[in-house]
Parts: sequence; structure tokens; C-alpha cells
Amino acid sequence: MLEVKNVQKSFGANQVLKGVDLKVEKGDIIVILGPSGSGKTTFLRCLNFLERADQGSMDFEDIHTELKSASKATVNKVRKKTAFVFQNYNLFQNKTALENVMEGLVIARKVPKKEAEEIAKKALDKVGLSDRYDYYPSQLSGGQQQRVGIARAIAVNPEVLLFDEPTSALDPELIGEVLAVMKKLAEEGATMIVVTHEMSFAQEVATKVIFMDGGVVVEEGSAEDIFTHPKEERTSQFLHRVLRDYDYVI
Amino acid sequence: MRLDTEFMWETFLDVLHGVPVTLKLTIITLLVSAPIAFFMALSRSGEGRIGRRIITAYVSFIRGTPVVLQILFLYSLLPTALNYLIKVLLGLDFNIFNINPIVYAYTVFILNTMAVLSEVFRSALSTVNHGQMEAALSIGLTKRQAYLRIIIPQALTAALPNICNTAVSLLKSTSLAFMMTVKDITAIAKIDASFGYNYLEAYLVIFFVYILLCTLVQLVFHVLERNVASYKKLITA
Repeated sequence: MLEVKNVQKSFGANQVLKGVDLKVEKGDIIVILGPSGSGKTTFLRCLNFLERADQGSMDFEDIHTELKSASKATVNKVRKKTAFVFQNYNLFQNKTALENVMEGLVIARKVPKKEAEEIAKKALDKVGLSDRYDYYPSQLSGGQQQRVGIARAIAVNPEVLLFDEPTSALDPELIGEVLAVMKKLAEEGATMIVVTHEMSFAQEVATKVIFMDGGVVVEEGSAEDIFTHPKEERTSQFLHRVLRDYDYVI
Repeated sequence: MRLDTEFMWETFLDVLHGVPVTLKLTIITLLVSAPIAFFMALSRSGEGRIGRRIITAYVSFIRGTPVVLQILFLYSLLPTALNYLIKVLLGLDFNIFNINPIVYAYTVFILNTMAVLSEVFRSALSTVNHGQMEAALSIGLTKRQAYLRIIIPQALTAALPNICNTAVSLLKSTSLAFMMTVKDITAIAKIDASFGYNYLEAYLVIFFVYILLCTLVQLVFHVLERNVASYKKLITA
């Protein structure tokens, strides 16, 4: 459904992505793991043109384009097929939860207001916020804000949902509620690409795990393969380090 | 020494005729400068390098020179130069000295207010984090729609206190319009005073009038602030 090849991106002299490929089939839950600075967030942002890649091509259903030279119209088409969930939620501060979710429907997709409101309410219900329609972001907890962010993303019914470290800014207590929503979406058959440090989420939900380091894909495979018998030394090093955190009980 | 209260009352009534001039100078200047200043602020935070340099130079030039000097330059020196240009070099029959002096007043104040407001808007725009723009783009809004619906409403709300500041200080600077023979509050008071050397009384009267007007401006903005930012009220509540 979505395939990108040889994605490269530099910031100044610093080459962050050195040729990353990714193939996504419908219903895939792809989790991208890797240490900070490995380029996973940049890669995700390139898929949505929030970052313009220096090189690479994209095949996305009927869209075939070079990432660097994609026209405004193509960019907009890709953005309408995808939705992004941000690390810092990035909710519109001047709009209520409901308005946040409706915005993309009414303005970008020209859905009639009544209908948009219904879709938006359904999306908010799905993330467990049916009692928070008229709250402004500043009145919501981090976990609730992120769930509005997810509702905003799913309301536009995208082909692919992109999650950029959706739980990294949250208190440990609030992470669970966001992960539960994401898990539910996965079970309902959504196609997702998730950059995260939540190993348990990757282990339980991912259909494919990708380990990135230094701007390249070091290893990819099923969650079981990666977590139980990684082939690459670098992968096992990383997993050893992050999983150790969960090894002991206080 | 005794204050001539009768003179003060008469001056007060006289000066009231100048209030519309002062208000017009303030309001029209604000209305003309604000949109231009906004685009200046946008292009300063945008990509165009040349535009950004020109605007930066303009802003620092205006801010780096006293308004009085700008008036002297624009009102006294520039017309003479322009007159030479028009009459001698272009050979046109147009008397630049016939232009209503209020045009010069508008020009000076608009040039000034544009520079000040562009800085106000620039800082206001930077209070809206870039992530909201990205979020808007990610759900398919165009940049223009994102600005109009998400960024600008928040930036304007953040800018209101500073716009109020600008408006008040502009209202006060319009008192310099007397230098360009515009009959505003200050000019009328000075004229009245000059007949009998009642300067103290005249100045006391316009002191009071300016305080009144500035308070009025602040009240207007206070009401605006309360009504515009319903979402902000919740943050502070």
C-alpha cells in the first residue's frame, strides 16, 4: 500500500537518514525502535512531508512521487491519506476538543458541519473522552490531550496513522491510557507506523519491528524475532540496555 | 498666582474640537499600519531573505530615530526636495506645499506605528508554537488556512496588551502633530494660550483631556481582551 525507498535527509552537514526503505501493507502495525538521534522521528516526518527529504521515492496507492520534488498538490494528497500524532500533542489551543477534531474534516475535507460533528464525537468517544467535548486543551491532562490528538488523527479516516513518540511527554501513569487506545485501534485493523520507546507495546502489538540506528535500518522482523533472537549485535545491545530497565522488581 | 478657571473652561470646550482630529489620527493610523505590519512580521519570520533584511533595516531605522526628527525631516526638508524634483526635474505644475499638512502627520505616524506593530506581531506570532502549524498541515489544512484559523487568532490574542500599549503611545505622540500645523488637541491649546500667555492653564486642561482619552483606549482594549480570549480566560481561571 505504501512503499518508500532510499529516503535520505541531511540537516546541514549532519546526515540523519542514509537511505531508509519501508514497505507497509494494509493493517500493518510497524514499530520503529532505536536510540535517540537514530533518525526515526525524521523518517516519520518525511513520510508526511513535515520534513522534506533530500532523496527517495514514494509509492502510496495511486501516488508515485519523488520525495524531494513532490508538488504542493501531491503533498496535500499524501497528507489527506495520512494523519500524524505528535509527541507534544500540538492541539489547537484556541479550539475545544471537539473543534480540534472537526477542523480537518470541515476545513480540509469540506465535510458538512453537522456530519463532521458526528464523526468527531464518535472519534472522541472511541478514545474515551465522551465527557470532554467542550474542554479546551489547557483544561485537559496530558493523557487526555494526547487522546484528543489521536481522535483528531483517526477522525479524518486516514489510510496510515503515524505516531511520533506519542507517550514520551506523558507521566508514567498516563501512558497506559494512551497505549490502550492505540492497541484498540490496532485491533480494529488500522494501519499504523509508530515510533516509540514502549517496548511492551512493540512486543504485544507490532506486526513488524524495525530497529534503526545511525540513519539506517539495522534490522527488521517480527516482534518475536527482534526481541528474542536479534541477528545484529547492535540490536541486541540496544534491547539489552532498554529492557534491563524492566528486569528488576522493587 | 491664580488659575484662570474661566479661561480653562473655554479652552476645554475649544480643545474638544481637536479630539476628533486626535482620534482620527490615532485610529486611522492604527487601521492602516496593522495589516501592513502583520505582513511585515510574517515575512520576517518567513523564508525570503531580502525582504527580511529590508524590513529589519526599516524597523531599526525608525526605532533608532526620534519622532520629532522624523517630523522635521518629513515635514520641513522633504517637501522642499520633492518640490525641486517635481518642478525643476520633471517640469510638472504641482505645488507640493498645497498638500494638507495632515497627510504628513499620517505619513509619519503610519511609518512609525508600522515599525512598532511589526515587532509586536512578530513576538506574538512566536508565542504560538510551531507544532500547531505542523498539526494543521498534517490534517490537510493549507498554510493559509492554518494561519487564518489557528495561528493568527492566538497571536492576536497574545498581541492585544502590546497593541493597547502601541495605541496609547501613538495617541500621545499625535500631540506632535502641532509641529505640522495640524489642529489637534495640543495645537488648539497652544493657540488659545498664546493670546494671554495662559500656558499653564491650557496645558493643565489638555493634560486632563489626554488622560481621559488614554483611559478610554485602555478600557476598550480591556473589554476586547476579556471577550476575544475565552480560551485564555480558562487558563488563568
